[in-house]
Amino acid sequence: MKNSIELTAENQEVKGKSNVVVALLKRSDTSVIVATLVLFIVFAIGSSSFLSSYNLFNVFRTTSLYMFVALGQAIVLVIGGMNLSLGAIGGLAVVTAGVAMDTWGLPWWMGIILAIIVGALAGFINGIFIVRFKLNSFVVTLASSFIFTGLVFGISKGYPYTGIPKGFTLMGRDGFLGIPYLFWLMIVTLFVLWYVFKYTVIGRQILATGGNIVAARYSGIKTDRIILLGNVLSGVFAAVAGLLWISRMGSATPATGSDWMIISFAVAVIGGTALSGGAISAIGLGTAALMIALINNGLIMLGANVYFEQSFLGVIIMLAVLAESFRMKLHSSRKR
Amino acid sequence: MLELRGISKIFPGVKALDNVSITFHPGEVHGLLGENGAGKSTLIKIICGMYQPDEGEVFLNGKQVRFESFRDAMEHEISIVNQEIQVIPQYTIAENIFIDKIGKYAKAGIVNWKLINEMAGKYLKMVGLELEPTTIIGGLSAAQKQLVQIAKALSSNAKVLLLDEPTSSLTKHEAEYLFELVAKLREQGVVLIFVSHKLEEVLAICDKVSVLRDGSYVGTKVRENLTKQDIVKMMIGRETQDRYLGKLDINYDCKVLEVKDLSQAGRFSNINFDLYEGEILGFYGLVGSGRTELAKIIIGEDKKDSGEIRIHGKKAVPESMADSLYKYRLGYVSENRKEEGLLLDESVKTNIGITIWKKIVHPLTRKLNLTSEKSEANRMVEALKIKVTSADDIVGKLSGGNQQKVSIAKWLAAGCDILIIDEPSVGVDVGAKEYIHQLIWDLAKVEKKSIIVISSDLPELCTLARRILVFSDYRIAGELNDINDKYHTYDELSGRIGQYMA
Repeated sequence: MKNSIELTAENQEVKGKSNVVVALLKRSDTSVIVATLVLFIVFAIGSSSFLSSYNLFNVFRTTSLYMFVALGQAIVLVIGGMNLSLGAIGGLAVVTAGVAMDTWGLPWWMGIILAIIVGALAGFINGIFIVRFKLNSFVVTLASSFIFTGLVFGISKGYPYTGIPKGFTLMGRDGFLGIPYLFWLMIVTLFVLWYVFKYTVIGRQILATGGNIVAARYSGIKTDRIILLGNVLSGVFAAVAGLLWISRMGSATPATGSDWMIISFAVAVIGGTALSGGAISAIGLGTAALMIALINNGLIMLGANVYFEQSFLGVIIMLAVLAESFRMKLHSSRKR
Repeated sequence: MLELRGISKIFPGVKALDNVSITFHPGEVHGLLGENGAGKSTLIKIICGMYQPDEGEVFLNGKQVRFESFRDAMEHEISIVNQEIQVIPQYTIAENIFIDKIGKYAKAGIVNWKLINEMAGKYLKMVGLELEPTTIIGGLSAAQKQLVQIAKALSSNAKVLLLDEPTSSLTKHEAEYLFELVAKLREQGVVLIFVSHKLEEVLAICDKVSVLRDGSYVGTKVRENLTKQDIVKMMIGRETQDRYLGKLDINYDCKVLEVKDLSQAGRFSNINFDLYEGEILGFYGLVGSGRTELAKIIIGEDKKDSGEIRIHGKKAVPESMADSLYKYRLGYVSENRKEEGLLLDESVKTNIGITIWKKIVHPLTRKLNLTSEKSEANRMVEALKIKVTSADDIVGKLSGGNQQKVSIAKWLAAGCDILIIDEPSVGVDVGAKEYIHQLIWDLAKVEKKSIIVISSDLPELCTLARRILVFSDYRIAGELNDINDKYHTYDELSGRIGQYMA
C-alpha cells in the first residue's frame, strides 16, 4: 500500500488464519523479511564461520552503514526525487572531517559538526536548484555529484587522513551487549523515522507531497519547503554515513561514497521505498540493509568470487522488484 | 450496421454488463447514456476490442465478428475519440494522426513525410483546426488535441465512430463545429455512437438515445418528443426537475471577500466584486474565460500585478494555498479533483485530516493526535454521508460523488468559512450531484458559509447561485444580481446570460 509507514500491523484486522496470510501479503515488508531470513539460513548452513560472533558483529556494522546510506536516498525518493550526488556528499563530509581532525587538529566533535554542516549545505544547494529553478532532481544531482567529487579530490589530493582521534573510532569499532554501537544507532534512527512518518506533521506532509505534489500544495502544504527539507536531510544522512564510515575504518578515505549509488538505491527500493514517491518503510529499510550486508558477507563466506559481487546484487534487486510487483498483483486481485 | 446481441461482461465480483442488446444504424447519431458505473465504458471497450464479452455476439453488417484487440477493431474500420486524450506530445500533429498507418505511406521502409503532411493538412481542415500539420502536438490546448484525435478517426475512414465525451474539453464554439462535422458524417452513412454527460448536447445532436443502468439495458428512444426529464428518468429510474432551493439569507452588511481593481498583465484588468456572508455567488463562463484563473489568484497560487484583495475587511496577501488556509480560512475545491484535489492513494482519513494536522499536534511533544484525526474524519463521513466501509478506505477507490464529498469535507474540517468550489459536479453522477447541491446550499443557508461556485453547467448555477457573474475573455461581462428573491427559470437566466456573452 502506498503512502503509509508500516511498522505495525494495526491497520490490518486479522480474523482467522487465512486472513493472516492475506494480511502478511498486503505488507510490502513481507517479501524482504522472508528473503532475508532465507538468505540467513542458507549462509548459516553453508558456512561454518558465518555464525561466529566476530562475523555477525561485522555484518551488523555493515548493515548500519548501508542503512544510513539508503536513508539518504529514501528521504528524497519519498518526495518523488532522487539524489545521485549522495556518495559525493558523503565523500565531501569525510574529507571535511579529515581536514578538521587531522590537518587542523580540532577535537572530534568539531569534526562531526563541520561534516554535518557541509553535508546539509550540499543538500541545500541541490534543493535550491530543484525548487527555485524548477529543475529535475536527476539533472541537478548528476551535475552536483561532479562538483562535489571534484572538491573531494581537489582538497584531499586523493590521500587519506589518518590522524583520527581514538574517541571517534570507538563508535565504529565497539559495541554494547555484544551488538555494535553502529547497530544500536541504526535501531534508534529507524524508530525515530517510523515515529516521524506516523506521528508528526512534517512526516505526514512529506508523504503527502510524495504522493501527489500538486494536490498536496492545493491542500495547504508548502511543498517547496518540503522538497528543500528532503534534500537537506539527504545531505545530512550522507554526512552521517560518511562519519560512521570513518569511525569504522579508522581513517578518512576520500574514495568513501564512490560505491554508494547502487547500495543506496538497492536498499531503499528493496526496503519498500516507492520510486514514484509517497511511501517509505522503516522496518523495510533496516531489513533491506541487513539483506545486502548479508549478501556481501555471505558470498565471501561461501567462497564465491567477490569480483562478481555487483552482478549478484543486480540479480537480487531484479528479484526483489519482481516479487513486489507479483505481490501487488496478488493483492489487487484479492481486493476486487 | 453494428449489432450487439445479449452482451454480458463479468469482472471478479461485478457483473458490469448484463444481457445488453443494441443496434446502431448507419447514418444515425446514437446517444449512449448512463450514470457513472452504468456500464457505458465497458460497452465501448467491447465495441472497440479492448474487452471481449463473456456472453453474447457482435455483428458488423450482418456478419458475426469477435475483436481480440483494439487493433483488430480498427481493421474493421471502427474508430474511437476518447475523453482521455492519447497523443504523443513530442510528435507533430501529422505524426500523431498517421502513427497507426505509417506503414502504408512508406516505400522500402522509407516514410513519405511529404504525402503524410499533405494528407494530415486535409483532415485538419475537415475538423476546422487551422494549424500546420508539422506543429508539435505537445503545446496544443486540450481542445485542439481532441480535434486532432477526431481528424485521426476520420483519416482511418471509420465506418463506426465512437465519440466518448468528445466535448469535455471543447469550448462552445468548438463543440458546435464538432456537431456540424458529426452531421456531415451522418450524411456519409457512418455509424455514430455518441457518449456524453451533457444531456442538452445529446438532445441536440442524437437521433436515438439508448440508456444503460447498473449494467442493464433500459431502452432506446427516438429523439422526437424526448425531454431531458425523460432521459434522466431512464438513467436514474425517477424524475428530477429543475430544483428551486429557496432564498438565501445573505448578510449584505458583511463583505467577507472583496476584490478591488485586480489586474494581471495580458489577462485581467480591473476586476471588481464582493462576496457577502451566507451568499452563494456563481462564476459562469466557458473553459478559458478566466473564472478558474481568477480563483487561483485569489487563493494565492497565481500572482496578480495590481489590485487588492480584502478578506473580512482586512487586506489579504495570500502567497500560497497554505496562506489561504491558515491565515484566511479560505478553502478551494479544484475542478481537477484527481490531480489537484485528492491524494488518491491515501485514505479518506488522511485526505480529510491533511488540513487539520497543525491543529491536532500536542503543543509540547509535537505528536499528532491520530485519534482526533480519525474522529474528525468519521464526523465528516457521517455529516456528508460519504459512503465508505471505514475512514481508512482509499480515496481513489471511491465513486466520483464520494470523492467530491471528501474534497469538500477537508475544508469544512479545517473550519474554512469562505469556499471556492470549482465545477462541483464534474464527474459526479446524477444522484450524487443532487446531494452535493443540497450540501452546498445548506452550508450557505444553515452554516452561513460564503461560497463561490464556478461552473459551466448553467442549470447547476440556476439551482445554486443567488447572484451570477458572467465571465468572458478574462473580464466580468455581466452580473445577474436580482435572482435571490424568487424562482427564475433556466430559460430566463440562460437568455439573460446569453446576451452578456454575445
